[in-house]
Amino acid sequence: MNSDRSSAEISRLHSITSIFLPRHLLGRLYLFGALMAFEFVFFFFGRGQFPGHLEIFGVTTDQYGQIPLFAYLVFLGFGHSVWKAQKESVPLGRIFFGIHLLCMAAVLSITLTTQKGQGWPFLDSFGYIKSFLYFVGTILLALACVPPRSWIRAIRSSGRLWLYSSIAGVAGWFLGSFIRLLWTATSNAQSGIMQTGTLYAVRAILSVFLSNVVINPVSFTIGTPRSLVTIAAGCSGVEGIGLVLFFTSVWLWYYRKEYRFPHALLLIPCALGCIWLLNIVRLCALILIMNVCSSEEAGSGFHAVAGWISFIVVALIFSRATQRLLWMRKVPPAASCASGVPHSVGVETLPGASEQLREERGESPAIRAYLVPFLAILAAAFVSKAASGSFEWLYALRFFAAAITLWYFWPRLKSLDWRFGWFGPVAGVAVFLAWMAPAWFQHQPAVSPLGQALAALSPTTRWTWIAFRVAAAVVTVPIAEELAFRGYLARRFISREFDAVSFSSLTLLSICLSSAVFGLEHMKNLMDWQHLLLGTLAGLAFSAALRWRGRMGDAVAAHAVSNLLLAAWVLGFGDWAQW
Amino acid sequence: MKSFLKYALGVLAVLLGTCTNAHALMFKWSPEVDPSLAISAFTLLAGSLAVLKIRRKK
Repeated sequence: MNSDRSSAEISRLHSITSIFLPRHLLGRLYLFGALMAFEFVFFFFGRGQFPGHLEIFGVTTDQYGQIPLFAYLVFLGFGHSVWKAQKESVPLGRIFFGIHLLCMAAVLSITLTTQKGQGWPFLDSFGYIKSFLYFVGTILLALACVPPRSWIRAIRSSGRLWLYSSIAGVAGWFLGSFIRLLWTATSNAQSGIMQTGTLYAVRAILSVFLSNVVINPVSFTIGTPRSLVTIAAGCSGVEGIGLVLFFTSVWLWYYRKEYRFPHALLLIPCALGCIWLLNIVRLCALILIMNVCSSEEAGSGFHAVAGWISFIVVALIFSRATQRLLWMRKVPPAASCASGVPHSVGVETLPGASEQLREERGESPAIRAYLVPFLAILAAAFVSKAASGSFEWLYALRFFAAAITLWYFWPRLKSLDWRFGWFGPVAGVAVFLAWMAPAWFQHQPAVSPLGQALAALSPTTRWTWIAFRVAAAVVTVPIAEELAFRGYLARRFISREFDAVSFSSLTLLSICLSSAVFGLEHMKNLMDWQHLLLGTLAGLAFSAALRWRGRMGDAVAAHAVSNLLLAAWVLGFGDWAQW
Repeated sequence: MKSFLKYALGVLAVLLGTCTNAHALMFKWSPEVDPSLAISAFTLLAGSLAVLKIRRKK
């Protein structure tokens, strides 16, 4: 009897948790890592300085913190293939998870209390209670995601991986402390090598164009008498190198079965060299722009965007190189067949085709029509921001980029049902009301530099800019974003053959995930929870409109109506902060 | 003994990490790192890679 009840209970729990949570050991180990990382980011960015580090062997614990994080990453990476075969379902420890949440809530409340300058009632001036709660909370999270027996099984089945991971964690900590000296200038003569190298490389290039280059190796300052920049540790190229190192490592690991090693590893230093050189070019261009315009503000947009453009370019070239360079591939890539033939038609319908055609793993060709208009908007935004200061005067580029790509792919897109009924506009009104609710309760518009920048323009220029801004918000952005987030992403979560999935058969999980990504896109900074939530709600509403009668037109109408009302609000009340 | 050391090491590692995370200093972004730009950049990169990974047949 008890056995029946417990099995029924387990199956009921699985039916609930399997919708959102991984059921098997490997997935749960990743879940623990992801939640731990999320809490790390959440607490890490939300706190001020607070004492309480323990001192072990003469070193405070903040110096040791990288060890377990790095060790767990290694543990997961190398144990992946071992645990992948274990398909036994793992129960979720709901009670442990509940207590874990209570611990984290207590940690947060202590943090907020101390940040406001109020005393902690238990006279815990060294923060040991907070440390203890965070420690217990993390242990409980580990036990909630993976029960003790499964942890023991995972550790036993992976042999001595626990030991190697621990050694790797310590080695990573040691090497990290040593490597950090490369870009951090200290009193040590050997430190700051990257800053120094970048400084002199910039001077060498600038000397070709300018005769009056000023350089100060002590303060890492370089430029001209009209424009001086300081090459800080972050400007030495280390952030780009870190990003590229992470991207290239993950890429080669993910596609490791396709490449020959160590041949493929040679591409990593090439990519790192490229990003470092592009950073030098970026600094030279920044100094030249500031020198020509005699204004630091002129180069601010370029300063912020150029690094990201460099990273994207290097990452794309790297990915193409790994596909094109035959000497580093185990299996040479097949010659491309004529594109435009639907993937699902191929093998099954043509007689004997299965012997002649072998489909590679990849995305459906239909992805281009759904995704490229949105990507064109993003790319145009980067170009536009790079050419702007604080005011994005080239905003019309976004409109034209989307309009041209939509026109190009229209022969493919016109087969979608673009009609709409009453539900779409009603959903749009609801989204607008929800979006404006926080501003409505604040009673006074937030101050925005956009209004001041527009006021400084001539009437013709101002209204031309506003016309393109409204046209983009009401026409091109709704179409491009609905194609990307609802047309592609929501269906891609269901099947690789996303164009074979009807809009009416979107699942709750696919709608929630695509809406969450849509919400992320609307965040204005890392702690902008308000726009994350509102963007997610908007995504849910647009998805509901799409699923209602399975028509793309309803989702686009909802999106367009909400953006139109927002534009009317901005222009009517001068609340420029909403743009 | 070996088993004890194994789990003791694990607990010590988590203890060190959590103490660090509980009291980490406020992180300082470089001036050119705008988180909203970062989200756009990663989206653009991921989308471009997806488009470039269009399936081929052989």
